[in-house]
Amino acid sequence: MTTSVSPPETVPEEKAAAHRMPFWVNQRLGLLVLVIALSILFGVLRPAFLDQRLVLFPLLRDVATLTVVALAQMVALSVGHMNLAVGRMAAFGAMFAGLGYDKLHLPMQAGLLLCLAAGAAIGAVTGWLIARTGVSSFVVTLAMDFALLGLVSLMYSALTEDAAFTTRPAGIDALRSYSLADICAGPICGSPAVPQLAQFTVLAMLGLGFLYGGTRIGRELLLTGANPAAAELSGIPTGRRVLLAHTLSGLLAALAGFMAAAGTGTFRASIGDDFMLPSFLGAVLGGTLLTGGVVSVLGTLLGTALVGVIRKGLDLLGVGLESLNIYLGCILLLALSADRIRTVVSYRKVVRST
Amino acid sequence: MHFPTRSVLSGVLTAALLAAGTAACTYRNAPAPATGQASTAGRTGDGADLADGSGTKVALVPGGAHPYFQPWKTAGAAAKKTYGLGDVTFDETAEWDQQKQNNLLSTLAARGYNAFGVFGVSPTDINTTFADLKSQGFPVASLGSCPAGDTDEADFCLSTDVELAAYKAAKAAIEAMGGKGTLVHLTGNNVDANTQLRIKGVARAVKESGGKVKLLQTVTDIDTDLQTAQKAVSDLMAAKGGQITGIVATAYNPAVAAADAVKSSGSKAKVIAIDDDAKILSGIRQGTVTATVVQNPTGQAEIGTWALALLQTKQCTMRDPGVKVDSGSFVVTKANVADYDKARQEKTKQLKTEFADKYLSCG
Repeated sequence: MTTSVSPPETVPEEKAAAHRMPFWVNQRLGLLVLVIALSILFGVLRPAFLDQRLVLFPLLRDVATLTVVALAQMVALSVGHMNLAVGRMAAFGAMFAGLGYDKLHLPMQAGLLLCLAAGAAIGAVTGWLIARTGVSSFVVTLAMDFALLGLVSLMYSALTEDAAFTTRPAGIDALRSYSLADICAGPICGSPAVPQLAQFTVLAMLGLGFLYGGTRIGRELLLTGANPAAAELSGIPTGRRVLLAHTLSGLLAALAGFMAAAGTGTFRASIGDDFMLPSFLGAVLGGTLLTGGVVSVLGTLLGTALVGVIRKGLDLLGVGLESLNIYLGCILLLALSADRIRTVVSYRKVVRST
Repeated sequence: MHFPTRSVLSGVLTAALLAAGTAACTYRNAPAPATGQASTAGRTGDGADLADGSGTKVALVPGGAHPYFQPWKTAGAAAKKTYGLGDVTFDETAEWDQQKQNNLLSTLAARGYNAFGVFGVSPTDINTTFADLKSQGFPVASLGSCPAGDTDEADFCLSTDVELAAYKAAKAAIEAMGGKGTLVHLTGNNVDANTQLRIKGVARAVKESGGKVKLLQTVTDIDTDLQTAQKAVSDLMAAKGGQITGIVATAYNPAVAAADAVKSSGSKAKVIAIDDDAKILSGIRQGTVTATVVQNPTGQAEIGTWALALLQTKQCTMRDPGVKVDSGSFVVTKANVADYDKARQEKTKQLKTEFADKYLSCG
């Protein structure tokens, strides 16, 4: 699947250089190797790491949700913006789904659509404000984060007793606890380690992979991120592309909110509280540039998976709270340094050979 | 700006794809639900002496790091020694995130722990987590906080009755205020079921005063850390300090902050705090804090671990699965600040007898 795109018209030198670079410089390959190596290491140290039901299933469910969060951030990063309200947009979307189930007794799919529509709408408002006023996305999304924090808390306090919508539509429990082992084509069933919730992640990744890899709009989004002035002069409606990026970001954030709610049980105000850091971490580790213009859909999944695997492994090793985040930070730093070292070494090789 | 047709189209397409995804699969029959504990009456009392707990590994999992849970660590270790359990661990790495807590619980299960005492991060979600653990055959206790609503999927809930504790605190405040005046309630996260219960408890006490006591303000969301609480309390004292005759704090950080603020500002407001932080206890001794409502976390961990071991070894079953038991709350004033712990230990002993005679069915 083509998931990473550098617009050829903007960075021809880089592309040419990439042709000369050996295959092992590829950041996504590096991440994949690292994820597999760490999984094997943890598996050897603690064989329970490979327990499909107790370890891999919850790990993959977590990775599936956080990947969508990181994709929401990635879309905003693709136009050189950021979405600091990614967690609150998730809470906002999930609130509409909960409201739909609790008050309107909607079926699950209709609630999901309502959730996505709410997320897309709030994302569109954010994008419109940025495009229209020219104020930095940092400021606008930060303001949106505060506004939504108040609004969501207020709505939950007003509409519910326990600050959560507890009505669960038919099918949502299955979505939470079913794995591919529950889906069978004849006598062959899938793996019990892969959660069904991951279908949303796969669909989102396919959609975005197609958008950035196979469509003109995708290339225009990247060009808007790489150089807005050049994009504007080339006849790209940058305002509309910014609007689209933020709409998609809101939609994906809302999807992540729905997945988080389905994963834990109820639709509550605190959904998305911890989304912001993982959103940047997954996207940036995966190779998406903070400055815009370069995205990597597959890399985002791998970046998120790397953090998830490290955390799970350390949990299994019984590392305490004091040391957990120190180890996590050190391993991530090593991962990023390894990537840099790989690039430098390969660059020297290329220079030597020419 | 023109209407972005292409943007809308791609959005609708993505949404439709995602919605279709939920409907597109066929499911095998769902696995059988959790096996309910038979509530057959059996011999009780003597049967509640744990025969062999060496195969029992209990995990005590709070919602995250908080001073309230520190007694769990020592009580758990003591219970391991007393009852000869395989292991008792205390893991506070859930970081107040329900998803992280769920992951942590399954990781602990993979590490061989087979009984769980959990303080759920989200009271509305924790039943789902309990049901998951129960369906895998593990006994579960909800410690320190009960799930929101009427159902409890855990084997039992051993917790402070938060509404009752808040009611007791507000009653003590009103009494200290001489039955009239203006009260302020400081508490934790507004969108949390337990906070809502605390607000209800305080409101009930205020209502019982028949209009003589006015609840001036309920300040929420200030239990995140001490600094936030201190800022909120000093702002409150600056703005309305003259009016306030009583402060009831039903969360840990606001309680410490209120004790500090009253001491430094020389306010005449009566402070009713929660828990037995050293600062609060010294405030009581000096008279700046009128009373505090202490809870019984040691008893929760001690009795919780013991009862979980009995359930895990199948020596006992719950007579009434999901029963809610109050672990006790005690009003501590200058008069009993020296020996309140005795009352707490008495309550723990009493809880053990209650469990053996009333809640467990052993034999």
